Amino acid sequence: MSSPKSQSAADPVISREDFLKFKEFFYRRTGIHFEDSKRYFVDKRLAERIGATCTGNFHGYFTMLRFQASGEELQLLTNAMTVNETYFLREEYQFRCLVDSILPEIVRLRSISRPIRIWCIPSSSGEEPYSIAMYLLENWPGINEWDVEIISSDIDTNILRRASQARYSARSVQNVPAPWLRKYFRSEGDEYQLLNEVRQTVEFTRVNLAEPEDTVKYREFDIIFCRNLLIYFDDLSRKTAVDTFYEALNPGGFVCLGHSESMSRISSLFRVRKFPEAIVYQKTKESK
Amino acid sequence: MTLRRGTTARQETQSSPEPSSYNELTAALESADPPVRRYAARELLRFPGAGTILLNRFKREPENAVREAILTSLIRLDEPSVTKELAECLRSEDTTLRNEAIEALRELASSGDRTDSISPVVASLLVDSDPDVRIFAVNILESMRHPEVERWLIEVIERDPHVNVCATAVDLLCEVGTQAACEPLLRLKERFPSEAYVQFAADLALRRIREI
Amino acid sequence: MKRVLVVDDAGTVRLYHRGILESAGYQVEEAWNGVEALEKALATPFDLLIVDINMPKLDGFGFLRELRSQPVEQPPAIMISTEAGEQDEKGAYSAGANVYLLKPILASQLLVHARLILGEVRG
Repeated sequence: MSSPKSQSAADPVISREDFLKFKEFFYRRTGIHFEDSKRYFVDKRLAERIGATCTGNFHGYFTMLRFQASGEELQLLTNAMTVNETYFLREEYQFRCLVDSILPEIVRLRSISRPIRIWCIPSSSGEEPYSIAMYLLENWPGINEWDVEIISSDIDTNILRRASQARYSARSVQNVPAPWLRKYFRSEGDEYQLLNEVRQTVEFTRVNLAEPEDTVKYREFDIIFCRNLLIYFDDLSRKTAVDTFYEALNPGGFVCLGHSESMSRISSLFRVRKFPEAIVYQKTKESK
Repeated sequence: MTLRRGTTARQETQSSPEPSSYNELTAALESADPPVRRYAARELLRFPGAGTILLNRFKREPENAVREAILTSLIRLDEPSVTKELAECLRSEDTTLRNEAIEALRELASSGDRTDSISPVVASLLVDSDPDVRIFAVNILESMRHPEVERWLIEVIERDPHVNVCATAVDLLCEVGTQAACEPLLRLKERFPSEAYVQFAADLALRRIREI
Repeated sequence: MKRVLVVDDAGTVRLYHRGILESAGYQVEEAWNGVEALEKALATPFDLLIVDINMPKLDGFGFLRELRSQPVEQPPAIMISTEAGEQDEKGAYSAGANVYLLKPILASQLLVHARLILGEVRG
């Protein structure tokens, strides 16, 4: 039996029709669309999964994938098909949207006494919530008038620990403008230590989004960033998560998903809103 | 510096305790306040037998968010009488109600353990007198995680008189069809020789199957 | 090149419409349901929408109504259904469709309506 990572001529044949069949199925279930140019990439990943599942060929694998009640293989496959990298200011256009479009709308409707609350999940190693903090400090004039609270959560306590430590590689900070790097980080060897000024602005918590009990107290948020997490969930967990977001948000509050993600396969609870910088989702203002 | 570390929890602002008994919750389901109704719908999933009351509310509930919460609870409660009644919603003139009912039935169908309870419902919908109901039944078949599905689809393309019902079945056969579907697909092509979409879809299904 | 958004939850139907429209020289994009259609229609303007009624999460009516309520340039829409009921036809026009067609759609039918709506045919 060949090993799962075999790259020899023993790779299963995936015909054009197989590819089209798979492409349509995968798009319907995940919303992820593959151009023909991604053929090699897709074939390679499929070959890996065919090997790992010992299903022998595309048809055997596809049947398993298609009919598996747990949806576990689809999740594993989705993981294999997507790139999951974290770094500072990833998908920066959403932070621009936050400052230029979302926050102006939120502050228009509220009194100064209540802080603006942002929930960032998953925290991963902290790049995202810290990016938001720095971006607000540098680019939002309102930061001088409004209190902002940033809460960031993850299921993995090890990664939460790393996020609190806030120590990063050069690769992770490559998109950080040089003035910010000088102002908010201390260079230590080939690593960068985030300084307390930003480090202490984020509260990190452990949460399993698929567990409703974990999130009961998460309320009165204005904005939720949940980027590149939900695609890895099964259908039921995704729905639970979005439900949680709905409960967690104030009326008129916003959800930002990842660049290639969509609510379309999860829920129609949120209103699709287009801003010049990005498409985001909004909880209706009329509800409480 | 006005970025400060926040706290996850917020103070409870309600003065009265939240409803929790069955009677309190069913009353809350009729509240004028949508978030209260939504809360009640979510909590009622803890009470087996609450299905009928939830479904009755679903049929007249104007708020999207409340309907969604009701359906989530109904799916988790998984009561056979409710499944049957949801299936009746497929006849509704109200497009939103109908499509939400289809989705709920699809979610019920997609769980492997429920195959036994949903199969008879789908089986009877597949032979309903209304061709649109039969189309919706095929849509529900798509969510069933059961290779038996192919046999049902073949029966549809062999027997159903309505072109759109057959077309919907062929679309699904493009994905789940095997050798067993080849002859039936060829016969379908002969049955509807002037229907361009049927020819197109059947040819596509045959092409995909022959690759196996 | 005119851009058309084809909205239908059935992959084969989208493929079929794509074939017809592309060979007539249109650029085609697809959406699987009303939510995805909204995202795409709001992100970049289309010249024409072809919209199925029955779809999961957000159906054709819901999509059109929501799109028509947003402050963006509004493309014309051909609404497609399997329903023969009067309710659906009324519903289509009140949701903001320009034309209502019943499946199965003939290629010629689709193209005639598309060309008329897009002003490519002299009346």
